[in-house]
Amino acid sequence: MTDSSLLILFGSESGNSEYLAVEAEKQAKSLGLSCSVKGMSEIIIGDLTDVKNVLVYCSTWGEGDMPDNAVDLWDAANGDSPPSLKGCNFAICALGDTSYEFFCQSGKDWDDWFEKQGATRILDRVDCDVEYEDPAAEFTSKALSIFSSMTGGAPIESQVNEDITPEPALEETIEVTGDDLGELLSAGDRSLAILYGSQSGNSEALAAKFSKQASDYGLVGTVHDMDGFDLASLSGMSRVLIVCSTWGEGEQPDNAEALWVAANADGAPSLSQTHFSVCALGDTSYELFCESGKEWDKRFEELGATRLVDRVDCDVDYESIAAAWAVDSLAAMAAVDGTGVYHEDMVESIKEYVAGDDEGADGEDGFTVPDFSAESIQAEISIFRYDPETATTGSDTWLCAMPGHLSLLEALRTVKNTHDGSLSFRDGASDDSTTAICVNGRLVLPGLVRLDAVAPTRDGTLRLRVDPLPGFEVIRDLVVDHWSMERRRESTQPWMVAATRGGASTMQGDIGLMEPNVATALHSITDFGSSALLQASSDAVPHANGYLGPAVLASVWARRNDPRSSASSVSGLDEILAGSNGIKAETDLASIRRQNGSGLVVSEALLDAKTHVLERDAFNGRHGKHVWWYTWTLKSSGKVNDTVLYRQVLGPIGLLGNLTSGVTARMMTGFSRTGGDMITDMLAFIAPPAGIGKMPRQFNSSVDNHHEVVAIFNELDGRF
Amino acid sequence: MAIKYAYHPGNVSHSSSPEVAVTMESFARAMGITLVPLPGATSCGAGIVRQANRRLQLTLNARTFAMAEAEGLNILTPCAATAGNLQEDLMALQSDQILMQEVNETLENTCGLTMTGEVEIHHILHALVDEIGLDKLEEKVKNPIDFTVAGYYGPNIQQEGACGGDDVYDPNYLEQVISTLGGTPVSWEARTQSVGVPGLFAEEPTVMKQTAEALSEAKAEGADLIVSACNLSQAVLDIYQGKAGRNTGLSTNIPVIHLCEILSFALGCHNKRLALLRTRIAVIGD
Repeated sequence: MTDSSLLILFGSESGNSEYLAVEAEKQAKSLGLSCSVKGMSEIIIGDLTDVKNVLVYCSTWGEGDMPDNAVDLWDAANGDSPPSLKGCNFAICALGDTSYEFFCQSGKDWDDWFEKQGATRILDRVDCDVEYEDPAAEFTSKALSIFSSMTGGAPIESQVNEDITPEPALEETIEVTGDDLGELLSAGDRSLAILYGSQSGNSEALAAKFSKQASDYGLVGTVHDMDGFDLASLSGMSRVLIVCSTWGEGEQPDNAEALWVAANADGAPSLSQTHFSVCALGDTSYELFCESGKEWDKRFEELGATRLVDRVDCDVDYESIAAAWAVDSLAAMAAVDGTGVYHEDMVESIKEYVAGDDEGADGEDGFTVPDFSAESIQAEISIFRYDPETATTGSDTWLCAMPGHLSLLEALRTVKNTHDGSLSFRDGASDDSTTAICVNGRLVLPGLVRLDAVAPTRDGTLRLRVDPLPGFEVIRDLVVDHWSMERRRESTQPWMVAATRGGASTMQGDIGLMEPNVATALHSITDFGSSALLQASSDAVPHANGYLGPAVLASVWARRNDPRSSASSVSGLDEILAGSNGIKAETDLASIRRQNGSGLVVSEALLDAKTHVLERDAFNGRHGKHVWWYTWTLKSSGKVNDTVLYRQVLGPIGLLGNLTSGVTARMMTGFSRTGGDMITDMLAFIAPPAGIGKMPRQFNSSVDNHHEVVAIFNELDGRF
Repeated sequence: MAIKYAYHPGNVSHSSSPEVAVTMESFARAMGITLVPLPGATSCGAGIVRQANRRLQLTLNARTFAMAEAEGLNILTPCAATAGNLQEDLMALQSDQILMQEVNETLENTCGLTMTGEVEIHHILHALVDEIGLDKLEEKVKNPIDFTVAGYYGPNIQQEGACGGDDVYDPNYLEQVISTLGGTPVSWEARTQSVGVPGLFAEEPTVMKQTAEALSEAKAEGADLIVSACNLSQAVLDIYQGKAGRNTGLSTNIPVIHLCEILSFALGCHNKRLALLRTRIAVIGD
């Protein structure tokens, strides 16, 4: 183990702790952590002295007892000479059942023990009841984020200020690196010791063959005759393969005898740093088949070595079986990096690399599973801060290096767990719709967006400005109150009031049916991932008091078009849509359209809703007149005539308002300023017949072939 | 290098924003860009006509596409609303062959035209950075712009497929152009937000708040000037800024000009207007 590696240890009776440990391993690897999972029966207590980071999952059995696979380790831990664990970081997840008196006792015991031995608790123990999944998952995420930051990737500067002044890149950055195959196969110590115990020469020949193959895996193989081999030198070797035959009635071959005796003596060294695998040769016609190989396999384990590939027992036709074992074993040995850390997740990639294909691992269905891991990137993350107690706002900026494939939510967790526990944001599952935030003007669910894809990287640095969702009241930092939206939703009585309909006779009985295209259309309108995110996409929401907003209106429009809705319900929904807080209050659908996948579909639906409302009102009122007269002027000349719009839509009172508020004056001076003809424009505003009957073309010249425009109007819409 | 585009001046450069048409033409001359007029092209509809009849706006714009295709040229416009609306309709037609066939039937019957969809829509900003090159622009600068400038994009060109090689949510082409001209760009959030132009006549109180927020944020970030990529937004940000300020109590006095104006001024055209702009910057504000 090294400082950057993590041991995930489980004490399990029913398998729950083991499951959690395996899940934690997957998550750890996605964070770029090198780690290994071991049951408590798979290690001896002395191994912990070499461990710097340990994550423990332990259940409790019976009346506060250790699970079976933890009993021996616990006894050893409480022996006469427990190891010192100074410098070791740990976190404990205890599983139990509150219906028992000694709830989570084993986890508590381990927690106390680690502390007593001088280890540092990096996260408070969590005690999980029978519904353990959620609290355990939360604990795992937090713990791994902390371990990740401690072994790299930690934000290193916290800068709290009212005015953000980005600092230049710092001299030191801690890096969380993803696994890099090229680096793994070339960096650091790449030695592989291949020991053979041979009587007839078969084992020796195989050892020599494997040694040559080792170079294909980036390893430097050295063949060692067991005869005369220094047992003590094994403790310094991180990769060892053993090829050993069996002689007579289960006896070690001649050249292995002395080493075998030494290995079983009291002074045999600890092999806790050693990864090994055994190829045993034998003959099934003998009673003790492959006995020597089995003994070496067992003894290495007893001495603390880590078995990477299960032993293979070969009969007299050993070539093909031994060759297959070599492929697995050499790949596994190659996955032990220069510091002695085993990267199990890289084994398949190494095999493919050696086979001439390093694109990724083949999936079970025959397709290639792409490698989603990414290089570490420099990120400058500025996060909006709001403290409700002092009513102060500002921002904090962190400079850090993190793997590009980290989700934004994971990055926020890392910042919170390592540098500022007071940072507040809505946490949850990756697709939790309430977690929505704003990053560089983009509205996202942070669990669903990778760090390296959330915004463009410029000048080698990713600069992120993280803000709460616009249009909502901020509670603290990035946490907003969705209540205003929910109140608006509530005001629309968001439930189905269905009409009585005849069902269709089917094999399942009489049931209501809906045309597939209708059902698809309705679903597409309302299948937005996050109501809050969609609501925030409207730039009008923060400014239009009472405006229901796109998330609420999309649902209203869908119900209004649902064939199951009753006539009275449709009528009521039409009133909502046409009301002052309905679709007319949206000032620009383009702002909704541009945000994320659902924005396009919803903006199209809201456009339909607006057309429906305007037609229902026969294009009366300012909204209707605006659309009507804009379209009309387009027909009359091919160009928009904005003076006509001002007169027709605002009317005399509106024009007078503009006159007194300075808008008209500014408009006219604006025209003059930029070279327009002020007199002409002034005339445009006051010339008759303003607001009466059909407008003359006035000051617009027509586009060429204007008759074509008129023909298109006549073909498609005779209303204008 | 001969650069040639079919030119669509936008919706209001013939009326509310003649300065855009004037400076676009002088800038194009200075850069050696040939603007081929489309004298038969109609207004893009600005998303307003679509509210009355979606197929109507689509067909009118298809007619414009057909005219550009007949010239064998891509369309260039200085108006973000026009660029956004034309692009939206073009993508709708390109993605639905049945729709394009129906629209072509209407065009054939009424105008004797058809379109294929093999035309591109470029806003002047994206053409400048993606096709012409900022190095070419830098070579032509005669009057470096020594202002602190807030670039306003608006939401129409910040759509997927409508913003060239720029980022939809976190663009920086305008800032690159401002820097190339010698100016200092400011970072501000409202640059891609809508100021509510389509709702100006009917939802004025909301639009005034949206406008005031954009103006005041630009001022708060230290901008001397706002440069808008959109004719319509520029008109509202300029004409209504007094009213927006009075309605909201925010500080909104700041000169607002169009991108074509600052480009044209920097290239040595309309020196008197640049002098007038300097005066406005000096006297306008708090």
